[in-house]
Amino acid sequence: MTNVNSALSPLLQLERVARRRAGRAAVQDLNLELAPGQVLGLLGVNGAGKSTTLAMIAGALRPDSGAIRLSGEDFLERPERARRLIGWLPERAPAWPELTVAEHLDAHGRLRGLRAPEMRAARATIVERLDLQPLARRLAGTLSQGQRQRLGLACALLHSPALLVLDEPANALDPVQVGSLRKLIREQAAAGTAVILSTHVLVEVTAVCDRVAILHEGQLRHDGPVRADDHAALERRFFEIAMQGATPAARAA
Amino acid sequence: MTLLAMFRLEVRRLRVQPLAWVLLALSLAWLGWCFTRLLGDFLANEIKLAALPDGPGYVDLVAVPLLGQMAQLAFLVVPLLAMSTLAGERRHGTLPLLLAAGAPASRIVLGKYAALLLWLLLWLLLVLAMPLSLAHATTPDWGKLAAATLGIVLMLAALAALTLAASAFTAHPAIAAVLGLLIGLGLWTVNLGAQMAGLDGGAINWLAMSTHEQNLLRGLVSTTDIAWFVLLIAVCLALATRRVAADRERG
Repeated sequence: MTNVNSALSPLLQLERVARRRAGRAAVQDLNLELAPGQVLGLLGVNGAGKSTTLAMIAGALRPDSGAIRLSGEDFLERPERARRLIGWLPERAPAWPELTVAEHLDAHGRLRGLRAPEMRAARATIVERLDLQPLARRLAGTLSQGQRQRLGLACALLHSPALLVLDEPANALDPVQVGSLRKLIREQAAAGTAVILSTHVLVEVTAVCDRVAILHEGQLRHDGPVRADDHAALERRFFEIAMQGATPAARAA
Repeated sequence: MTLLAMFRLEVRRLRVQPLAWVLLALSLAWLGWCFTRLLGDFLANEIKLAALPDGPGYVDLVAVPLLGQMAQLAFLVVPLLAMSTLAGERRHGTLPLLLAAGAPASRIVLGKYAALLLWLLLWLLLVLAMPLSLAHATTPDWGKLAAATLGIVLMLAALAALTLAASAFTAHPAIAAVLGLLIGLGLWTVNLGAQMAGLDGGAINWLAMSTHEQNLLRGLVSTTDIAWFVLLIAVCLALATRRVAADRERG
């Protein structure tokens, strides 16, 4: 396994994090660091442990063992630290179907500790940035999956987090929206936000990420830099790892 | 701050739920009809009752029976209103969003519970407005009315806590509603068998919600009855908190 240590002091540190789910080890002995402004792509086949890892980083799930540090502080001991520092877009962008888009943003702002004046300013900015104005009065239950994905992204970005955790954010987005999403991620990174992006799409990683980590069967199998012209090498490495332990029929396919 | 944010979120969710308004409208319509019937009976017998030295008054014959009717309706209304508080969050996948916002499980549960109580108190105020609208024309026994109101408040709070706890253990609101209804009815009638067998056992009577509620509806306020309700509410909220906290632990 290759490992990359950033020259910058890490914003996020995972030390020997492990978690069992549904009777099996979903994540094992995971060590990872992320510096401000870095974009890390998290790759892996279904069930590799990506969503479990992201849920633990976001504070929605507690590891069985190990430590997660945020700006040097153990945030498992102080989960409220995650409140202002982390923005999370979970897989499938869950939402309260009976609330409007604007009500969602208000609710997320309050939950993340924004005060009324800050929230008004943040909401106006994010609504404009993600072009949500036409949807502001629509109920979340009536939105398409792509629109919900944009709403989820807006909620994750509303409080200007230091760490943005995105679980398959390009799901159900059209090509134009995917382009906007990539631009948004690069803008956030340029502003100093660390981003973790989980995806199944290798092109996504080469397009926006500085680093890539590949998880397989809950273990970190690769952690290295990625370049935009490196797509073929990344694909080769990914399939090498993904095929470990696969049946001959799966290899042939 | 998170408690207030949770409270406001839940109030907003309840406010836009058609079921909450339908329940409010239907129950008020039924209780309004009960009120006019009780009032008619009271007016028909008013002269005879006035002749009795310690005869029952307006509160005994109109206000308290109306609250009794409300207590019966509460077994259905409260579980239906509270069923999706936590089960709905789990069903829509939004519970992890709340946990990730750093909100402790206790604040999630208390915020939701406070919002439910606000809605139930609004319901109670609208029901109480019926007998109170004629209070200027009678001489109500305010003490008895206050005791009965306290009884209803405690019962609504207990049923809400019970359904909230049931809602914490499932992702299906309908299951939470059925559990809330069955456990509520079970607690109300737990001493029924003993009574039918002619036994007047202290312990089994103490367990029954009906024993404590009927004392309060009769105007008897005792710390034992209040403690029973407070204990039930505390146990249910503690159970709900434990289950929500376990979501962060167990996933």
